[in-house]
Amino acid sequence: MLKNSATERLAAVALVAPFVIIYCWMFVYPTVRMAQLSLTDAPLIGAGHWTGLDNYRRLFSDKVFWTAVWNTSYFVLLTVVPGTAAALGIALMVSRLSGWLQSLILTMFFLPYVLPVTVVYLIWQWLGNVQFGVLQFIVVPFVGHPVNMWRTIPWFMPWVALITIWWTNGFSILLFLAGLRNIPSEIYEAAVLDGATRRQIFTRVTWPLIWPVTVLCLTIQLILQLKIFDQVYLFALGGRTAATMVLVQYIYEQAFQRNAGGYAATIAVALFVIVVGFSVLQYQVLRMRGAR
Amino acid sequence: MIAPAIAPQGRRWGTINLGGALLTALTLICACVWFFPIYWALVTSFRTDDESIKSFSLLPEHPTLDSYLYIIAHSKLPIFYLNSTIVSLAVTAITLVMSICAAYAISQLEFPGRRLLWWTILASFMIPVPALIVNHFIIIASVNLINTYAGIVLPLLIAPVTVIVYKQFFDSLPREFREAAVMDGANEFQLLFRVFLPMNWGITAALGIITFIGAWNNFLWPFLAAQDETMMTVTVGIRAVQDTFGVAYARLLAGAVLAGLPVSLAYLLFQRRVTQALTLSAGIKG
Amino acid sequence: MTEEAAKNGVERAPHVELRRVTKRYGVVAAINDLDLAVEKGSFTALLGPSGCGKSTLLRMIAGLERITAGQCFINGVDVTEMPPAKRRIAMVFQSYALYPHMTVKQNIAFSLSVAGAPRKTQDERALEVARVLQLEPYLDRRPAELSGGQRQRVAIGRALVRQPEAFLFDEPLSNLDAKLRVQMRLELARLHAALGVTMIYVTHDQTEAMTLADKIVVLDRGRVAQVGSPLELYRQPANKFVAGFIGSPSMNFISVSLATVEGNTATVKLPGGGTAQVGVGSAPAGAAERIDLGVRPEHLLLVDANDASAAQSGRISIVEHLGNVTLLYVDTAAGQMIVEAPGSTPVKSGDVVGLRLNESNVRLFGADGATL
Repeated sequence: MLKNSATERLAAVALVAPFVIIYCWMFVYPTVRMAQLSLTDAPLIGAGHWTGLDNYRRLFSDKVFWTAVWNTSYFVLLTVVPGTAAALGIALMVSRLSGWLQSLILTMFFLPYVLPVTVVYLIWQWLGNVQFGVLQFIVVPFVGHPVNMWRTIPWFMPWVALITIWWTNGFSILLFLAGLRNIPSEIYEAAVLDGATRRQIFTRVTWPLIWPVTVLCLTIQLILQLKIFDQVYLFALGGRTAATMVLVQYIYEQAFQRNAGGYAATIAVALFVIVVGFSVLQYQVLRMRGAR
Repeated sequence: MIAPAIAPQGRRWGTINLGGALLTALTLICACVWFFPIYWALVTSFRTDDESIKSFSLLPEHPTLDSYLYIIAHSKLPIFYLNSTIVSLAVTAITLVMSICAAYAISQLEFPGRRLLWWTILASFMIPVPALIVNHFIIIASVNLINTYAGIVLPLLIAPVTVIVYKQFFDSLPREFREAAVMDGANEFQLLFRVFLPMNWGITAALGIITFIGAWNNFLWPFLAAQDETMMTVTVGIRAVQDTFGVAYARLLAGAVLAGLPVSLAYLLFQRRVTQALTLSAGIKG
Repeated sequence: MTEEAAKNGVERAPHVELRRVTKRYGVVAAINDLDLAVEKGSFTALLGPSGCGKSTLLRMIAGLERITAGQCFINGVDVTEMPPAKRRIAMVFQSYALYPHMTVKQNIAFSLSVAGAPRKTQDERALEVARVLQLEPYLDRRPAELSGGQRQRVAIGRALVRQPEAFLFDEPLSNLDAKLRVQMRLELARLHAALGVTMIYVTHDQTEAMTLADKIVVLDRGRVAQVGSPLELYRQPANKFVAGFIGSPSMNFISVSLATVEGNTATVKLPGGGTAQVGVGSAPAGAAERIDLGVRPEHLLLVDANDASAAQSGRISIVEHLGNVTLLYVDTAAGQMIVEAPGSTPVKSGDVVGLRLNESNVRLFGADGATL
């Protein structure tokens, strides 16, 4: 189209400027600085000295760091696959329904997703309250006595993982519902006519066809849970935080409680590398399996 | 009608599909179990403090609004609400306007650096924002905006998904609309705000609501940026409330309900939009 | 004054003119060194098969495509570098491009409102236009609530309100069903007669061009094949392309070889024996040159298969009864030929017939396609 390039460029710059400014200031610049900072020994505010790769060397032998890595991995293990499986199961159940019943049931499953983390925290803290919580009714018959979920280390992660699944599943359920909706009903009808049992229909028809959605869901969940902080921090407050510390929490602690800005940045870079590495790896693996 | 994932092949009892009915019943039970924590919190909030400790009945024996009234009157909750509202509205408004303008320019106009900008935005998904909190803090502190509305709002404005969704939307509009409007003499701003954007207010509504909910629910950054109670958003402040109320559980849960109420209402009222926005953003991530 | 204008005997300067215009996409030239002149107040059709460049040409006049080389003039002013909005030209798009979220009135008044005209002016002008196009009852409706014909009128209205120098139409009838197309054709013709505005109309449908246009520009792969009035193109095609494109059913072509040329008459040998005498304008290059003989279906007469004057004979494979005429598809030594016979002709499939040429309405085309 014939246009006045100068005015077009001017208009483009005017339109793009606010976004670019904020984006650079709040995103690009911090990312670059994060990398930079990790090479210094700076405190939270103020300048530091160049220390090169010292921070990284320290990181490799830092027991707390590796504990955090382990904890984060443990958490991911407890949430990503079980969560995706649960979402798929729920989506299968919900997709059978229609009309107002489906809306109602879907709302009941989805509502936790829109709640703030602190509300989720308060709800479950009450539920698991060692003296008055309803959950103790389930726990006591198995264990014999009431358990303080958040103060008993072996219980901590599994419970926080369960709560996280409860909280974030809505999104995955939506994804699966959309994926299931995309499978034309004629395929099911053909399978039934071919004599497939219900289980066969699931394993031979449904499962392969929603595989792409499953991959997507797993990937999104993985990246999400690697960055976990809020719930773990909240539930561990007042207790022994070191044992259940996760990566972002470690960044927070080093930066804001130990005033070690440079080292915190180092951990952040490590997290970044882990997130990128994991997600690329997982995507490739799942893609390969899908192609077979 | 959604295609059934499991073909209904159950035994028929009269005209009722037994297998199907059982499955539906099972679904209902699962949903109730899933919803129970929220339900229990609601129930507790309507009890008296005394009753909340002693009773485990499914409905409050003497329902009362005491806890709600107390917490509104005696805690900083109203201030938290105000802060949350201001922050969330600001984030939503600014993010939407910025993203719409930028997406339009990337989609429709030629300018130096366009491709680079687009690739940067796409690549930004890889970077975990929580890892940047340290630098956000340093930057906001360096301009003395810690503990101010601006300071809380700024880092929350990062929303590559919004830009990407809008850009794809603008890309999808047939070229002829632009040509017709250009021939009619419209300039770029008129094109954007009078032709392109009004063609689908649904997307704007969906993204707006989802941005609002996200801003309301954000914990980590407002937590760091608000140094004293008067600047806390309700998501952060409700935890501080816990320290005050300790074992007054009914009051505590009333606070929690109040904290989660706006976003819940937003979802219940605009379910379709929320679903649409989430599906759109998932399409981007895939 | 361009050659075109001289040829048409028009004294004044053309309203819209393209001079030596080329459009290149990379190394491919979609349009090559093309001249075009459109007279003021005329209805000019740009006709050709898909890919011939007619839409590109239109869009270059509109300013929606950049001209790689050459110039465009409107009213004598060089607009080659001028942006579309300034050219005072209005366009009706193939899909109409009506703004779906605006009412008919708002759609029509859009260009006025964009220019900042006061609300009163917008309303007045929109109403005026709506009256001319009989859209008054629909002013408050949205495009989705309108029929195809009504939508087209709104698109025209949107163009009309700008009081442009010329109207450009980009295949506006191709989205309508057959019956509606006929109806809208009449309306367009009426509109042109009433307004007297210059209209440039792109189409691939030769019926539309023949019925609506004063002048047709036939395009073939980026070049002008011929310019002329509908009847001129029909009766005196300058080349094989135009001869085959104009007219439905299309002209029959037979490969023939040249026997002799005497003055303005050539004698050719027909396949299967037989000769014909055809008037020619220019002499063919040589005996070895491949020559085609073109004859329209209505210029073939059915005779007995053994008739000596039959140029060709063969078996009828398909008969199409249209009522007023009957189309016969006859397999001859020269290939399948289409014959248009009166509706009452008593033939049936399988009959063997002879075809006689109406020699004064036959043409010869040289190897390069030009009429001889």
